[in-house]
Amino acid sequence: MVRRWVLIALLSFGGVDVRAEQVRSPATNHWAFQPVKPVSLPKVNNTRWAHSPIDRFILSRLEAGKLSPSPIADRRTLIRRATFDLIGLPPTPEEVAAFLRDPLPTERAFAALVERLLASPHYGERWGRHWLDVARYADNKGYVFFEEKTYPWAWTYREYVVQAFNDDKPFDQFVREQLAADQLEGGRQALTALGFITVGDHFVNNTHDVLDDRIDVVTRGLMGLTVACARCHDHKFDPLTMADYYALYGVFRSSTEPMIPPAAADPGLNEAYEEFELVLLDKQHKLREFVEGKHREIVHGGRTRVAEYLMAVHAQRNQPATESFMLIADKGDVNPAVISRWRVCIDRAGATNSIWAPWHSYAALDETNFASLASAVREQLLADTRVNPIVCDVVVNPSAPKSMQEVAGRYGQMFTNSELRFVAATASKPEKELHEVLYGADAPPNIPAQTDWGFLSLLPDRASQGEFQKLITDLEQWLMRGPEAPPRAMVLQDLPVPFEPRIFARGNPNRATTPVTRRFLSVLDPHEKPFRQGSGRGELAAAITGPKNPLTARVFVNRVWMHHFGAGLVTTPSDFGLRGERPSHPELLDWLAGEFVRGGWKVKNLHRLIMNSAVYQQVSVNTSESRAQQVDPENRLLWRMNPRRHDFETLRDALLATSGRLDAKSGGPPVNSLTPRRTIYTFVDRLDLPPVFSTFDFPSPSASCPQRAQTTVAPQALYLMNNDFASESAAATLRRNDIARCETLEQKVGRLYQVLLGREVVERDLRRAREFLGLNPDEKVWQQFVQALLLTNEFAFVD
Amino acid sequence: MVGSSVLFPGLLSQLLAEDAARSGPIDPLLPRAPHFPPRAKRVIFLYMSGGVSHVDSWDHKPKLFADAGKTVSVNEFQGRKGDFKMFAKRPQWDFARHGQCGTEVSSLFPHMAGCVDDLCVIRSMKSDHTNHYEATLGIHTGSFTFARPSIGSWVSYGLGSENRNLPSFVVIAPKSPYAGGQVWASDFLPGAHQGTLVLPGTEPVANIQRRVASNRLQELELAAMAKMNQRHLVPRAEDPLLSARIKSFETAFGMQAEMPEVFDLSKESDATLKLYGLERGSTKGFAWQCLVARRLAERGVRFVELIDVGSSDNWDAHGDMLTHTPLAKNVDQAIAGLLRDLKLRGMLDDTLVVWTTEFGRTPFNNAADAKGREHHHWVFSSWLAGAGVKPGTVYGESDDYGINVAKNPVHVHDFHATILHLMGLDHERLTYRHTGRDYRLTDVAGDVVKGILA
Repeated sequence: MVRRWVLIALLSFGGVDVRAEQVRSPATNHWAFQPVKPVSLPKVNNTRWAHSPIDRFILSRLEAGKLSPSPIADRRTLIRRATFDLIGLPPTPEEVAAFLRDPLPTERAFAALVERLLASPHYGERWGRHWLDVARYADNKGYVFFEEKTYPWAWTYREYVVQAFNDDKPFDQFVREQLAADQLEGGRQALTALGFITVGDHFVNNTHDVLDDRIDVVTRGLMGLTVACARCHDHKFDPLTMADYYALYGVFRSSTEPMIPPAAADPGLNEAYEEFELVLLDKQHKLREFVEGKHREIVHGGRTRVAEYLMAVHAQRNQPATESFMLIADKGDVNPAVISRWRVCIDRAGATNSIWAPWHSYAALDETNFASLASAVREQLLADTRVNPIVCDVVVNPSAPKSMQEVAGRYGQMFTNSELRFVAATASKPEKELHEVLYGADAPPNIPAQTDWGFLSLLPDRASQGEFQKLITDLEQWLMRGPEAPPRAMVLQDLPVPFEPRIFARGNPNRATTPVTRRFLSVLDPHEKPFRQGSGRGELAAAITGPKNPLTARVFVNRVWMHHFGAGLVTTPSDFGLRGERPSHPELLDWLAGEFVRGGWKVKNLHRLIMNSAVYQQVSVNTSESRAQQVDPENRLLWRMNPRRHDFETLRDALLATSGRLDAKSGGPPVNSLTPRRTIYTFVDRLDLPPVFSTFDFPSPSASCPQRAQTTVAPQALYLMNNDFASESAAATLRRNDIARCETLEQKVGRLYQVLLGREVVERDLRRAREFLGLNPDEKVWQQFVQALLLTNEFAFVD
Repeated sequence: MVGSSVLFPGLLSQLLAEDAARSGPIDPLLPRAPHFPPRAKRVIFLYMSGGVSHVDSWDHKPKLFADAGKTVSVNEFQGRKGDFKMFAKRPQWDFARHGQCGTEVSSLFPHMAGCVDDLCVIRSMKSDHTNHYEATLGIHTGSFTFARPSIGSWVSYGLGSENRNLPSFVVIAPKSPYAGGQVWASDFLPGAHQGTLVLPGTEPVANIQRRVASNRLQELELAAMAKMNQRHLVPRAEDPLLSARIKSFETAFGMQAEMPEVFDLSKESDATLKLYGLERGSTKGFAWQCLVARRLAERGVRFVELIDVGSSDNWDAHGDMLTHTPLAKNVDQAIAGLLRDLKLRGMLDDTLVVWTTEFGRTPFNNAADAKGREHHHWVFSSWLAGAGVKPGTVYGESDDYGINVAKNPVHVHDFHATILHLMGLDHERLTYRHTGRDYRLTDVAGDVVKGILA
């Protein structure tokens, strides 16, 4: 109890109880929405220990609590820590030896080591993977019905990410490219970046869920805001409204994936490729021809069979609206998707609409007494001057209708006749109004043609569905697997006419209500300036990385900090909202964010700032007096370094590397898990994540992952004890040249310790090894010995 | 505990004991107290893949027999809204009253019919979706669209494990169901709560078989590791992660010893095997799955799910209802055997047995001579038996033809809320923070169905 109290006192700053303050302030005053303020470095007493600005922030808080930091770790510990941290692989014995021999003072030698590691191509493989957690990367779509289940080119996005980290691409540019490479000057080279948005789950092709996932990855992943909570109601805690959500919904709804995405890189000129291209064009042509033909039929039917559509709409009255994917009808039926558009059109027009008022009035009548009630309604309608005069003449005036069938028939007749007579130049206002119903931008028959799988839902009958599936599958397969098929970028493109979003009441797409503009979040842009260019993705990207948004930089520096220390300054890395945790060191967070932005958003600079601090270089074992352990056992104040256990990737990669099996080739399409390449290149199956992935806390790619869970469970142990991969690692380690050629037991054990644990063997280790191995150890016993080393905590943890 | 004296000597046990208090957040499987005293300690969840026809099994509709071939009006067919004239289709199997309670069951399940005095048959189940994928996901996770933690994962998360040598959630599935591994995935819950997949065969659980030549050699190997870990721990005594990992090897060693024993049926008596209809030595069919389920339940596994078949050749009888026959034969005696066996051993008092499927099948079809039935999620049947359930009862009703719920609807969310309730968990309080929101199995719905509680 006392311990908790002391910690709370230490974590509140400047003597102000932060929680009390929070209660008083409205949500927009929340710390995370305030600009990043310039911070001066705090004063500290132990200036000998604090050799970097970061140290002063950490130390001042420790000193305030009368706690001491820990000493700097030895070189062996430092090189192992830094190497795993930056490139996700163990240092080789030679690298360790060279670092130990380095005549420079440790501080400078370590800085040089950091530079070497930052320049390694493996750096991008490690830090790119961290980013792929945020990007909910996977190599397939999740469950889909008929179409191809894999993303054949997701890896081009993975490649982009790895390369961006290796190139130290400024993070703001990295973000802009991932949101809108297609709209940036010179963005052609970075089109594969758009995979950030498009590699998510397909949600059985439910558009609204796909868009929700995209809104989520962008807002939570980049800004630590849980905007997706505002899909069905305003956010319960944060100043995020449904209008904000549907503003972004409009942006992403206006951005679609082309059926034939552009090649990831210029395929160049060659005959084989041209051959491929010709066949592709032919298949594309066939598909387009089919779609255009069918689409014409649907649109034409939508305009000429109005009476039938109205009756279909009437049949659905009083039923909950539905958007169902699989609709089955017979050839020649009216189109279910068009029915639903007619329904939306009529519902939205409302009971006082000049054209639809009669329809609504009659439709409300009780069916059994229809005829007797209709004449009173007719009288009222005749007296209503708001009703369009043509509607009044044709639908209302002739007589009281005997059934809805008759009302629908009159409407149908009216539209047919007025279209026959329609001449745009001379048309009267009432005529134009009617024409608009059939031809306006939102007119029910004007259903968009799609040459992608979405068109399937517009084809209600099994026969045309079958024909369409054959054509599109043919094209799809050729595109992916035809000879010379080039990898493609998973891009987004803006619709020619952007989607005008409306708020969906309670998140129900059938209940579109108030229109909203496509724009940025109001909490960050109080003027709610509408986006003007196409979908607005480019403007969104600019706003997210713009100077008025303090979140993007804060959220990212916190992620980097988290990967270096095992815990973020904010321990809810994707939730900087009111329900998220407050930063343990707010000034430090702002100082880092400020430095980051001032230095041109260079990620490698952040690593330098962090790793060249005494805080980072502290020992992880508890050498100080026990007070720190008592007051702050979770080490939130960083009085020592946090030891960290390998995650799935570093464990598997370390086993491959130390056993000499690692194929260090980088990039390319994903491989299966038996291929001895770095784990980032293993196929990530969203639908069926292999149990070993989940066992070792690899995150589910169903949503953006803020931070991996860290569990310690028996199946992890069993994997290392009994899986072939572990025993093969042990066997292969013994086959390494440097180990196989050792002559004495002592040499061999010594070398094994260097390779596996990065340290020299001591007498105690040797004594144990002799006990285990006996006098004449055979291959099996040696293998068990190595495997025992692989099981140890010393192998599994990085100090 | 096998070999514990060699592997985990005094000093270490002492350290572990000291750490026990703090290792809570690290060891996700430590037993956790329920919200209130539970009726059931464990669940055996029997899931029939593809959609079992309710009107051919648990829900007798005399009118459907009488009016077969006549037209009925429905306002939706296979996801399409509108006015449809459909043909009522006669059930393939005759019904009779069974047991003292007199619950009607068809001749599709003659063995289970003999157990009705232990069952509470629910004839008013409702789901939200007409497709296999969504409905399968829904009955397992409460979500009909997104991947979410499975009900078994939620129970594991809520209660932890009773037996640290076994996983808390085990799934025995010879084939992958619709929605694949998502059906037993922990999703955003810690990975420890994912279902451990058991496949009938020589190595039912991954990595459980010792690869090392001999037990002795492995013990030596682990002892060497333990000694190194001990030494490593000395300056790091306060690190619960390290101790937790040491502990995990102890558990793994225990699992390695105990798991194969679960699958070793050689000590089961002939009478028991006969009860399930299992031939000695066979690992085939639902009988093996059911007997193994009992053995897992006996050893304290919280949630055992059995899936009979996969995403093809299943209960999805569009073409011909008679395809139900072999599937019923596979499960019927085995399930009846399981119920009787649990009862004999007194385990039915604290074990909840759940039988369900993702949806029912249409009592009608669009052609008078159609041999099969289509998907039907408006109403279908399931049953519960055992701990805390009113035995020998029927809950809810469908209408005369079995098209809609007529009385006491039990939505999938209600079904889940009730299962959690019987386990001592309040479905509204069993939450997990993810993407800024507190998630639960029942989303924002679900009521405990009081009428089925004993």
